Amino acid sequence: MTRKRFVTLTLVPAIGLLATLALVSIAGAVWFAVMNRTLRSPDYDFVGAYNFLRLLRDRRFFNALEISAIWEAVTVAGTLALAVFLAVLIFETVKKPLYRNLICFAFLVPVLLPRVAAAFIWRFLYSPSLGVLNYLCGLVGIGPVEFLADPSLALISVAAVDIWQWGLFFSVILLKLLETLPRDPIEAAMLDNARTWEIHAFVTLPMLRGPLISLALVKAVESLRSFDLIFVMTGGGPGTATETLDLYAYQMGINMGGRISYASAMSLLLLVVTTVAFTIIWKAGKKWAS
Amino acid sequence: MANISCNDIVKSYGAHPVIEGLDLDIPDHEFVVFLGPSGCGKSTMLRMIAGLEEVTGGRIAIGGTDVTDLPPGERGVAMVFQSYALYPHMSVADNITFGLRRQGASRSEIAPRLKQVAELLGLEKFLDRKPKNLSGGQQQRVAMARAMIKTPQVFLFDEPLSNLDAKLREKLRTEIRKIHMQLKTTTIFVTHDQLEAMTIADRIVLMRDGRIEQMGTPDEIYERPATRFVADFIGTPAMNFVSADIAAGDRLIAHGEGMTLELSRSAFPDLAPGQRVELGLRPARMELCTPDTSNAITGRVVLVENMGAEGQVITEVAGREVSFVTQSFRDLSPGDPVSFTISPDHIHVFDSSTGHSLRRN
Amino acid sequence: MGKLISAILTRAVLGGLIVVALGPILWTVLGAFKELRDIVTPVPKVFFEPTLDNFATILRNPTIRDGLLNSVIVVSAAVLVGAVLGIPAAHTLARHARKWGDDVQFFVLSLRFMPPVAIAIPFIVIYLDLGIYDTLFGLVLVYLIVTVSTVIWLAVPAFERVPRNIEEAAAMEGCGPAEIFWRFSLPVAAPSLFGALVFTFVLVWNELLLALTLAAQNATLPVVAASITSLGKEVPWGVINAATVLLVLPPLVFIGLLMGLLNTMVRSGPK
Repeated sequence: MTRKRFVTLTLVPAIGLLATLALVSIAGAVWFAVMNRTLRSPDYDFVGAYNFLRLLRDRRFFNALEISAIWEAVTVAGTLALAVFLAVLIFETVKKPLYRNLICFAFLVPVLLPRVAAAFIWRFLYSPSLGVLNYLCGLVGIGPVEFLADPSLALISVAAVDIWQWGLFFSVILLKLLETLPRDPIEAAMLDNARTWEIHAFVTLPMLRGPLISLALVKAVESLRSFDLIFVMTGGGPGTATETLDLYAYQMGINMGGRISYASAMSLLLLVVTTVAFTIIWKAGKKWAS
Repeated sequence: MANISCNDIVKSYGAHPVIEGLDLDIPDHEFVVFLGPSGCGKSTMLRMIAGLEEVTGGRIAIGGTDVTDLPPGERGVAMVFQSYALYPHMSVADNITFGLRRQGASRSEIAPRLKQVAELLGLEKFLDRKPKNLSGGQQQRVAMARAMIKTPQVFLFDEPLSNLDAKLREKLRTEIRKIHMQLKTTTIFVTHDQLEAMTIADRIVLMRDGRIEQMGTPDEIYERPATRFVADFIGTPAMNFVSADIAAGDRLIAHGEGMTLELSRSAFPDLAPGQRVELGLRPARMELCTPDTSNAITGRVVLVENMGAEGQVITEVAGREVSFVTQSFRDLSPGDPVSFTISPDHIHVFDSSTGHSLRRN
Repeated sequence: MGKLISAILTRAVLGGLIVVALGPILWTVLGAFKELRDIVTPVPKVFFEPTLDNFATILRNPTIRDGLLNSVIVVSAAVLVGAVLGIPAAHTLARHARKWGDDVQFFVLSLRFMPPVAIAIPFIVIYLDLGIYDTLFGLVLVYLIVTVSTVIWLAVPAFERVPRNIEEAAAMEGCGPAEIFWRFSLPVAAPSLFGALVFTFVLVWNELLLALTLAAQNATLPVVAASITSLGKEVPWGVINAATVLLVLPPLVFIGLLMGLLNTMVRSGPK
């Protein structure tokens, strides 16, 4: 078999399938976005930009946009902050390889949990009447705290679960990266009498700039998949306090009335924004990281 | 077995040319070393002969057959890589015999040949092991056995000894040389180590910037370097270079940088009075002398480097450093005045602008 | 003295971190063996009489059994096809694509940027029109977007880590590109590739949104589990905990593998 034939035979099926499915979903979204299709009736008409114009006057849409933005910012920043803190803490305090491996194993468990399972586990813990967290709060005289029913707390409470899953996972990656760093610059800094936190702030973490940026990008992409967690934990509530764009689009398109076209317009906007934003950020990030 | 001929080879990556119009003929049975600094194109040349890189232009023939467009497996060549490139998931025996098994050779045919190469390279004990359980030297032997068992027309070695420590390198070098004396297979060996090249080669092809700077036996390369670059690249310690002007007179005399040296008229008949040249003086060709000896160079000792049997003496002559090698270095210490001399026959003369040797015979 | 303090501190940190990571999960496992009256207590109970009732309820429930079966079928089919299509493509991208390879890889990556809801909404209508709504085939088809792209994304670096010289040595012995892939690159990269498949498996095993939208009667386990909450006013916490445990078990089997994958990736430089 010649090289050219091998390349064609291996690449065309996989990329062809991906391209077809991607194209179908995008073309479908565009098509339905300019119609007035609902799940209830099979008839539909062309309505032009009507759905988009309505979106601009939809307060719930802008609320969802805001919640999504907050969700991205909180989960990405929280995950990285927790990961850096824990990785450095473990790197400095736990020296025995056995203990480190033990921690690494424990830290890998949460990220492997299905989002649905993680959501249930934490709903159980957060529960105001029978949750362990509220029992602990009660011991120190607070509470009961309505973690998921209080509009000002709900989003943070759900984000905490996301950060629990990903922050612990990333701290394992960072710990492994710290272990692979050359010792020389660290030892040179120690000879210069740098304090521990100074060594990490000025020597090791800057050396890990590239991986840190990559991790931030990966987390930002994964944070787009917030639906599962929020859907099970709060369903977008209380009110619309935790309703992100994908949740709102789902509620509109499938749950309530099946307004497919309106939801299509919304998901199309979401698609364009994320794809454009991430393409730019990803390429810039890669350049910056190298 | 076969000769190799490369005709007007061009290689470029995009718009960036690496090799521009290189011609090379390697006779049957010869052991040729491609030598040069990194980036000179020697490995690219080897990989094009192997078929691992496509040529941008030109033709390559092995044993009279044009192989330019043939895939690597059909060229009758075998290659040994710097990183050994053993198949990690196969045992040593499977590594060695893979090529034969693939061609459908029978078990009864393979077994004696495996035994033969394994004995030749001392691998009998390791045949059942996986490559990762072998030392670097053993891995390289397996790579050589894998190349040899196919009895190819040509052996290609791509810096095969660079990953080994000095002692092992020397040992394997001798072994490779012995095996070549026995098998007489045409061989191309790539290295950047001039000492390795000098000791192992029938002929050296010294490359620079994608061109052949000089091609010749180790003696020719050492004693009659065609350019200043070759003279500088070959030999340790490195050659001293001195700018000088040719003086008028009966004898051929060059003046420069505090030295007055007589040159060989028969070797450099074309030198004219007033001509600006560059002299090349090999440290190893100089010896201690009294200040009144002919061609004496007088200076002051700066540093003495003990190399065991002999020493390199670095001196200051008229404000510049000149070094020479002597066995009686132990009598010298920094600050001592010292005189040393070089015979006219050993002085190299290069054109100071082109760097070409001005030697005529 | 200082040594003693630091030793105690180390233990404390160690213990605290492990509790944070595993505590919530262990509490759920404990809950799965409790009767409802042991759960609904003002003070959380650590000691109680364990019961298997919750698991019995779950395994007797036909919806959950079907969900489990559907999950197994859909996920293994999607991962299998993803591997068969994705792994050879990844090898070609890693080895034979020079100029356009990066663009193709970026296209594959950009599929991860697509919000799942943007796939789900158009597909629900298309599936309804094509008559494959609520079929396992339909689910496998959309999951292929996830599996093929993830397999390629993770397998390209795995093939790039295969020393090029090994493939060249095989080429010197006369192997063509297909034979080099099958007999050399694939076995050498196998451990990393296996890790990539496991990761892909976990990803689709955990997926909720697409299954929730594109299936109704033939849903997967996460969908069934998610729907238990909506059973009336009395929340059956014991049953939910048991269902959670069931859902969690398959991915956890692979934790050792994930650790190994991390180690090789970190050692050869992160993505």
